[in-house]
Amino acid sequence: MPRIMIIEDDPAIREELTLLLENEGYIPLPVTGFDDIPEQAARKRPDLILLDIGLPGKDGFSLCAALRRTFPTPVIFVTSRDTGVDEVRALSLGGDDYITKPYSVPVLLARIRAVLRRSSDDPGPADTAEAGGLHLNLRKGVVSANGNTAELTRNELQILACLMSHAGQIVSRADLIDALWDNQIYIDDNTLSVNMTRLRGKLAEIGLSDAIRTRRGMGYQL
Amino acid sequence: MTLREFLSDRLGRIALQLICTGLAALFLLATGTQPGVLALLLLALLPVFVTVQAVSFLRQCARLRELETILNTLDRKYLFMECVPPPGNLYERRLFDLTRRAGRAMTGAVSDAKAAQREYREYVERWVHEIKAPVTAARLICRDLNGNTRRKLIVELAQIEAHVERALFYARAENPEQDCLFRQVNMGDIAAEAIENHRPLLVQSGVRLETDGLDCTVCTDEKWAVFILGQLLQNAARYRGAEPVISISARACGKQTQLIVQDNGIGIPAHELSRVSDRGFTGSNGRARGGSTGMGLYLCKKLASFLDLGLHIVSQEGEGTTVTLTFPAKENLTKL
Repeated sequence: MPRIMIIEDDPAIREELTLLLENEGYIPLPVTGFDDIPEQAARKRPDLILLDIGLPGKDGFSLCAALRRTFPTPVIFVTSRDTGVDEVRALSLGGDDYITKPYSVPVLLARIRAVLRRSSDDPGPADTAEAGGLHLNLRKGVVSANGNTAELTRNELQILACLMSHAGQIVSRADLIDALWDNQIYIDDNTLSVNMTRLRGKLAEIGLSDAIRTRRGMGYQL
Repeated sequence: MTLREFLSDRLGRIALQLICTGLAALFLLATGTQPGVLALLLLALLPVFVTVQAVSFLRQCARLRELETILNTLDRKYLFMECVPPPGNLYERRLFDLTRRAGRAMTGAVSDAKAAQREYREYVERWVHEIKAPVTAARLICRDLNGNTRRKLIVELAQIEAHVERALFYARAENPEQDCLFRQVNMGDIAAEAIENHRPLLVQSGVRLETDGLDCTVCTDEKWAVFILGQLLQNAARYRGAEPVISISARACGKQTQLIVQDNGIGIPAHELSRVSDRGFTGSNGRARGGSTGMGLYLCKKLASFLDLGLHIVSQEGEGTTVTLTFPAKENLTKL
């Protein structure tokens, strides 16, 4: 499990980040003393550092440079300073990414995953998924079951991928829309219904006419 | 200063001189001076008078021209009195001193006001950075809540962020050059970031967003462009109609690139269209819906003019609004 060091002076954010990362399956390493951060980092050997720029009595920029001199751990700046000048400076000092507060939780997690993937040669999320008797090839956009295959559009693919990753659970329409927006598909409720009908039609063609159940008032379930 | 103005200004003095001369002539006549001698005397005095007045006129003209030139070349005109050579005569020198003292008091007041404004701007910026910490914490805490409450709270938090951001950019718009960084930016990245920033409002409004042709680059300041586009998206979502659709598209227009934000919302009444980017103008739509600050488009216009962006709004009431942002050709940006 990747170890993530949290260098953040706001106690509420630090605590919540610790909880969040724990829930996401990382090992959080919150820092509470800001005087000897390079030494702490050397002791704890994190895989990733989340670094705030405005620290008490310290400047995150120089800290990043100091950290970068001693080891190759990737650094993500998480800061409320949001000018292009700050960002360029952070990245030129060896930062791997730059996120401005207030960030949304999915964005933060996605960027953490991306940086960890880059640094660990992890091939990234699988390009196939399997659930409920369905086999989905995310790269080709093809779903297959019982030896039959159907091609999906980008929207249908993301809807199905979201349902498959929560197989057995009820996924609300709002959660589905959220997941689609995460993938830069900006649809509304009506378009979701249209896509859902089409997706069900395609699944019926390959012999799974009731793979996706509607749970009235709650959402969909695969 | 024309000759006529000069003469009317000197009317009293010239009249007095003429009266004195007349009285002197009468006195001389009465005491037995020959009229011929008197005429000779007056003829000799006339050119002296005329010459004195002419010299005086020319000198005043030259002095005024000199002062005018100094004022025109000054960048900060209120420093005028510090830059002009003092006059020769005593009375004018005293006047000059008084004006200079008044000027110094004003220079002091101006620099105090400037310092106060700078301090205020710094305070606003610091405040904005500080308020972001609790908002971030609140967002993180929100994720423990159940779906609906979380969504509603996130929309409200996003509204706080939008207000905070406007305050920040309002403070920045005073000295834009301090925070500006021009570089090549992908239009798709600008759109994706602006959409992400205002996503809670857009999703809650049930908006469908269409993007087209955004795979091009422009040379601009990314943060500012994101802010401007974000304001346009906010407006499109706030003043939406039934089944709202917002389309964001880009197209090349000669060497320039146009970013077009089109919605099918309630539109802007024709007679208000020219004033929508005035500071504090809320319009009938803003008043009807409430919560309008009249700052969004004002800031857009201000920042756009600094970024050298064209901002053009077309609207048909009941049909929708189309805003076109024209990014300048890259080679035209050297002056910035």
